[in-house]
Amino acid sequence: MAVIKALVYLLIYPGILFLFVYSTFCEWFDRKLYARLQNRIGPAYTGRNGILQPVADFLKLLFKEDIVPEKADRIIFSSLPVIGLAVVVTVGLYLPLWNVDVSIPSFNSFQGDVIVVLYLLSLPTLIFFLAGWHSTNFFSTLGGVRVLTMLFGYEVPLFLAILSPAIVADSWRLAEISYFYQKFPFLLLFQVTGFFVSVIALQAKLERTPFDIPDAETEIVGGTFTEYSGKKLAFFRLMTDIEMVVGSGLIATVFMAGFSGGIVLGLFKFVLKTLLVIAILSLIRAACSRIRVDQMVVFSWKYLTPLAVLQLLISIVVKGIIQ
Amino acid sequence: MKKITIPIGPQHPALKEPISLRMTIEGEVVKDADVRLGYNHRGLEKLAENKTYIQNIYLMERICGICSHSHTTCYVQAVEKLCGLEVPRRGLYIRMLVCELERIHSHLLWLGVAAHEAGFDSLFMYTWRDREVVMDLLEIISGNRVHYAINTIGGVRRDVNENQKEKILEGIKFLKMRTEYYTNLGTTEPTFVVRITKVGMLPKEKAIALCAVGPTLRASGVASDIRKDDPYAAYSEIPFELCTANTCDVLGRVVVRVKELVESYKIVEYIINNLPQGDIKVRAPRKVQPAEVVSRYEAPRGENIHYVKSNGTDKPERLKVRAPTLANYPATIEMLKNCFVADIPLIFAAIDPCVCCAERFVELKDIRKGTSKVLSMADIRRKYKYNEIKKDFVWPL
Amino acid sequence: MNQQELIERIKTELGDKIVEISSPAERRVFLTVTGENLVDTVKKLRDSFDFYHLSTITGMDTLSSFEILYHLANKLCCLTVRVSIDRNNPEIMTICDVIPGAILYEREIQDLLGIVVKNIPDPRPLVLPDDWEKGNYPLRKDWNYQAPEEKIPGENK
Repeated sequence: MAVIKALVYLLIYPGILFLFVYSTFCEWFDRKLYARLQNRIGPAYTGRNGILQPVADFLKLLFKEDIVPEKADRIIFSSLPVIGLAVVVTVGLYLPLWNVDVSIPSFNSFQGDVIVVLYLLSLPTLIFFLAGWHSTNFFSTLGGVRVLTMLFGYEVPLFLAILSPAIVADSWRLAEISYFYQKFPFLLLFQVTGFFVSVIALQAKLERTPFDIPDAETEIVGGTFTEYSGKKLAFFRLMTDIEMVVGSGLIATVFMAGFSGGIVLGLFKFVLKTLLVIAILSLIRAACSRIRVDQMVVFSWKYLTPLAVLQLLISIVVKGIIQ
Repeated sequence: MKKITIPIGPQHPALKEPISLRMTIEGEVVKDADVRLGYNHRGLEKLAENKTYIQNIYLMERICGICSHSHTTCYVQAVEKLCGLEVPRRGLYIRMLVCELERIHSHLLWLGVAAHEAGFDSLFMYTWRDREVVMDLLEIISGNRVHYAINTIGGVRRDVNENQKEKILEGIKFLKMRTEYYTNLGTTEPTFVVRITKVGMLPKEKAIALCAVGPTLRASGVASDIRKDDPYAAYSEIPFELCTANTCDVLGRVVVRVKELVESYKIVEYIINNLPQGDIKVRAPRKVQPAEVVSRYEAPRGENIHYVKSNGTDKPERLKVRAPTLANYPATIEMLKNCFVADIPLIFAAIDPCVCCAERFVELKDIRKGTSKVLSMADIRRKYKYNEIKKDFVWPL
Repeated sequence: MNQQELIERIKTELGDKIVEISSPAERRVFLTVTGENLVDTVKKLRDSFDFYHLSTITGMDTLSSFEILYHLANKLCCLTVRVSIDRNNPEIMTICDVIPGAILYEREIQDLLGIVVKNIPDPRPLVLPDDWEKGNYPLRKDWNYQAPEEKIPGENK
């Protein structure tokens, strides 16, 4: 029985199948909103209102020719997309979606799983760097170097901002953090700065405009993904989509008091809250142009990190007051 | 990091037309740049010696899609001077109307392309949506969205009636509103401005010494515009201002082009409101007396110069075309030194490159290469096995 | 000053270097000099008369000689300096020291007409491909239309 339950968790909900379906829906939502903001239509033909477009893109890429560059290490080159996909799906398992009560919130939750989630979310950056490096192409190497340079910029504010609500809630477990804020929702008002800092840092982690420097199409042809094609590229794109979903899920758990109320209501709240975060991400994407990598690092150390530190101080003060 | 040489082009997503730039890079800074031309040569100057003057108008039009009217007008002006024709004023005004509409559409296109290179896709989509308004106006006047074919030796081919005039004025009013919005957007959106400020610096003395033309020159503070210095086609009768900027960088070029847009709206309104009555063309002789003439024109990209020499027959002896983008290449190379890799497409886009304008010489070999390249690859796949090609062969680029 | 005054001043400044000077239309002046006096003439025009903008360089093949026209421009008019050189031994001095922007135009006439430009800073061909054979100058009037045999890189012979 437990084995079947574990398999359902892993494969169907909230495992691979659910994340796959939901991330394609989120990608459609993002593209449609971005297009409407630019006075265009966006995906419109596949399925009703274009909702099957991301699925169509994924299937098309699966059928394309798969080329490995001659000088590249075949094993690492081919396994990187799969490893990346595995990493982001694992993050999805830690989100507290089965919130029946605090003792059985998700597949496995334990003290300290916030740290594990943040660690797992920085692995994709390393994977992009390795992908760029192993492509043995100057443009990809440059893209990989830029990915790591950006990591120095956004990682610190993201960590600080996500950990501030954890300090107030006095726990390092995602389920308990969201449970705490479900009990005291007004304490969320003190976390607004952290919310905005983490949304901007998430935009940088997902490599979307204004931070899509490593994948700048007009400058370095395709950045880290220049040499990838076919199934491998399909997995990489799926990985970025799922990363968007779990990243916004993480922000929704920590800053928006999680998904309470059992399985169905919890799912409904999950969809609502993640779509809200993704809408904000799309708005930022439509309103800004791409900045250079050195300007990005300067921006995050000059503005984002001080704001994150400020948020941390506010959290410490609030915790002192409520105790 | 040691110095590496990377090729940008001939195929690159940042370039709309093939051109090969070899950059020597150290880390993320460009140390040296080199331009190699010739990928778009079509043999037009040699071809023009074998066609009559009227047939050459069609040839000149197809030098470029965006600035087609500039090449035909420049050529037709030269031939009219050779024949000693005087074009009636109504014809000249209609010619100027299409010139200014072309300038508007070219600058809107450029704004979109520069925004796209900087990563600002929203501005790209908005300007190209508004460009449709201009294309529709041009279609109303001439029947075509590109290659308007409105010039002929001795005047223009089509007339403008009252209905069309009203539509043009409406369109211009709408565009004026939108351009104000873009001016605000382009100069105050911080992520965009920080990308284009201090990028592609071209100091004033260098701009003059390297013979730059057009908005690239005017953004460095030099007040030089052929419409004012060497007025052709009744521009001396129209009041407008010369637009310059002092910042010598890509932001200056954006500002100059947006100011020129505003001036073009004023010129179009003046033309429509003061269109003189009369004929639109005169008859042109078929054979032209031997003479030579130099004709200059202010295209959206800069100074366009045609030199025509006739020898008494109905075909020209020599027709030389120098399109504005070619004049801006030495200035581009100067701008590319000591810039970041990320700025390369932006700097190159800022001179508004129209590579097919800049290359017109005889290149039967290239035309053959263009078609037989496809054949060769198919040939190779059919006849030779793919892995028989040597593995360590160095491609000659 | 107007155009007539300009022509008079040019005549006094350049004196006997001028072979011929004419003004067939408004704002157009045509000046003929010999090949040796070219660089001095252009320098004088740039310094005393503000002709610092070179629009282009045209190379022409009249069957008896080559003519090279330098189109200079200032605020007042467009002045064309014409130089005639021998067809069998076409050589001319570069003006890149005076006007650095002339480099691409000089490479172009070198490439397509076979005129040798002495002391040019960058003698590579501009527009013809790398494996174009030497001695085949397309813009000459007696050029034959035979395209040279194309070599495909990587092909096993």
